Amino acid sequence: MVPIKYNIRSLRSRWVSSMMTVLGTGLVVWASVLSFGLADGLNHTLEVSGEKLDIIVMRKGSTAETNSTVSEAVSREIDALSGIATNADGAKLCSPELVVLDNVPRRGDNGRANMMIRGVSPVAKYLRKDFKIVEGRENRPGVREAITSRSMARRFEGAGLGEELEAIDGKFLIVGLFEAGQGATESEVWADIDVVAQASKREGARSSIQIRANNPSDATRLIDRIKNDPQFGLDAITETAYFAEQANSGMALKIVGRTIAIILTIGAMFAVANTMYAAVASRAREIGTLRAVGFGRTTVLVSFLLESIILCLAGGVLGCLGVLPLNGISTGTANWQTFSELTFAFRFGPVVLIQALLLALFMGAAGGLFPAIRATRLKIVDALREI
Amino acid sequence: MKFLPYILRNVMRNKLRAIFTGMSIAVSLFLVTVLYAYINVQDETGEKTKQFARIVVTAKQGLTFPVPIAHVDKVRALSGVEAAVPLSWFGGKYQDEKIPFGQFATDPEQINTVLSEYDVKPAELAAFKADRGGCLVGSRAAEQRNWKVGDNIVLKGDIYPVTLELTINGIFTSESSTDQLESLWFHFTYLDELLKKDRSRQAGNAGTIFVKAASPDNLGDLMDRINETFKHTDAPVRAVTEQAFRQMFTEMLGNVQAYIRNVALAVVISLMLVAGNAMAMSMRERTREVAVLKAIGFTRFIVLSLVLVEAILIAMIGGAVGVLGAKLLFAMRDIVFRGIPGISGFYVPWSTVIFGMALAAMIGLFSGIVPAWRAAQVSVVDGLRKVV
Repeated sequence: MVPIKYNIRSLRSRWVSSMMTVLGTGLVVWASVLSFGLADGLNHTLEVSGEKLDIIVMRKGSTAETNSTVSEAVSREIDALSGIATNADGAKLCSPELVVLDNVPRRGDNGRANMMIRGVSPVAKYLRKDFKIVEGRENRPGVREAITSRSMARRFEGAGLGEELEAIDGKFLIVGLFEAGQGATESEVWADIDVVAQASKREGARSSIQIRANNPSDATRLIDRIKNDPQFGLDAITETAYFAEQANSGMALKIVGRTIAIILTIGAMFAVANTMYAAVASRAREIGTLRAVGFGRTTVLVSFLLESIILCLAGGVLGCLGVLPLNGISTGTANWQTFSELTFAFRFGPVVLIQALLLALFMGAAGGLFPAIRATRLKIVDALREI
Repeated sequence: MKFLPYILRNVMRNKLRAIFTGMSIAVSLFLVTVLYAYINVQDETGEKTKQFARIVVTAKQGLTFPVPIAHVDKVRALSGVEAAVPLSWFGGKYQDEKIPFGQFATDPEQINTVLSEYDVKPAELAAFKADRGGCLVGSRAAEQRNWKVGDNIVLKGDIYPVTLELTINGIFTSESSTDQLESLWFHFTYLDELLKKDRSRQAGNAGTIFVKAASPDNLGDLMDRINETFKHTDAPVRAVTEQAFRQMFTEMLGNVQAYIRNVALAVVISLMLVAGNAMAMSMRERTREVAVLKAIGFTRFIVLSLVLVEAILIAMIGGAVGVLGAKLLFAMRDIVFRGIPGISGFYVPWSTVIFGMALAAMIGLFSGIVPAWRAAQVSVVDGLRKVV
């Protein structure tokens, strides 16, 4: 094998050209990773939202809470079912909830979006993974007070701690900020269920009921019981399944991101091929010498391929480094299934970064292949004669 | 002009390099063109709706709140209103499709007056008006699902707790591919009766009211009067132009424009580097030739221009392939992006084509600057002595 040192020195000796290729491929990788990171962030948010033992009860036929209604009477019957877990204080983990959407302006000049306002009772927080108030306090029942997440506070006009949020025909005083394990709950505003029902003129209505089962077998039993009772007319699914369904609506983002990455990679391949053809052309004599001193065709081929791959991987690493400052920055888009804004953070996890480096690897291998083949085809005698 | 043949020969001197540079620009600008077309199509269709002089009335608290069906007649009674219909998104599931297409409960008598850009055969429209369980479907919706007039279809409610059984009375078409041809209209009264039977509190909700004004002037005044009419009722409304209504959906999607601009910027800078690199490689090989040119009397300015024009030419040819390729591809095929809201038909507007070509020219110019400058600076003596 030709020592890699040879390739690196070669790249260094025409460093301006090498740098430009590295920067060029770096930018392409950057744009691709940006798209991957967006899709990954959206997916992650919905993925961590689900809890296997938690069950969402909705009207039969509804795929999202926002489309569902459950009557108060039925809600009480669900509460009476056995197999529902209790918390440390002995309260039953059965939470009737009412979801209302309102079109609220985003901060800055970012247009408006549908905000999900969830009417809850005090038990709701026990049904959310890692729920805790991080600033301020909990909202009191019976008054127009609300709590929300940090990312919502940043994203929406009037949603900051101590501010007044104008929504559903009035104002809600934001009294606290919560965290909920980075899940979909962090895209919601919570207020007292009766207050929300009254404000939206939906007294007594519930969108869904969330319950936690004691154990997996109780969960299955509860789901069957609720689903198959014709009197209820309800559907019950695990929270995990509910959010997996919603992650489907993020598919468009994923497909768009992948398509962009593939097209850009093809474009970059041509550029890499150009650089490598020039490298082979200007080093004909060196190649002749290598062959003359006994390196075989395959060895020369591998050497040039490696050089091309090193070049692109350097660009890949640069592109990945370039997106890291964006990691964790929150953004949002419409979740069309719930018809409301879903906030999430850019996420450049190991999978995304490895995908990016593979893309760079492919760029280098495919772009360098033909130039490398040309290098092997040079006749030793002619190549040595080149100046 | 007389140098053009010389420049063209230079472009094709290293064919492989020229083709690769061109292809790199073509492929990448294809992408940028498609991305920008997404923005421009929305602007253009929004602009186009102006001629229809339509107003959309929603509940004051937003789209998810009800608009009483009785409001429709009250709107019709206002002066300056030509027609008004309820248009309520049903969002039901058809077979095992995951993403619902546009199914709207409306008033068959006036729907084609309000949405006048759609063509329906008079006989089919009459059949639709007469059949309470009938529906009209858009040509694209019909094509995708192999529907024919006379077919029966079942839509399972997601937002509403009812199942619709509809008969297709006819198929509507339109000249413009961006119109909502992936939709279906059915009788509002049919849905409402089912809901009343179910004692659902969702009964009597018009969803939105689409209003056709008698003239495109004074839409603002009409909107004010609509708002005023319901101001002191239980269900106040917000009337906006159709353009503003569409804008609302675009806004919900988030900051797509910023994302597109960032990707495009990265691509353009990348292309400048890539094309500049290729140009520099070409010029390095031609140092001696440039010295000869200067020796026989070519001025620095001409040498500089020769190289710049060559760089721009390569970029423009590559750009033309990519940009026009995008234009052609979407003109030939009716490509529908399902699941990407705000898009019901897609094409590349001419404004995007011009933008794409301008980008190509800019890429060429910037990629040529450094190599051109260097060529202009070549000293005759050194250049002639240089063996490449």
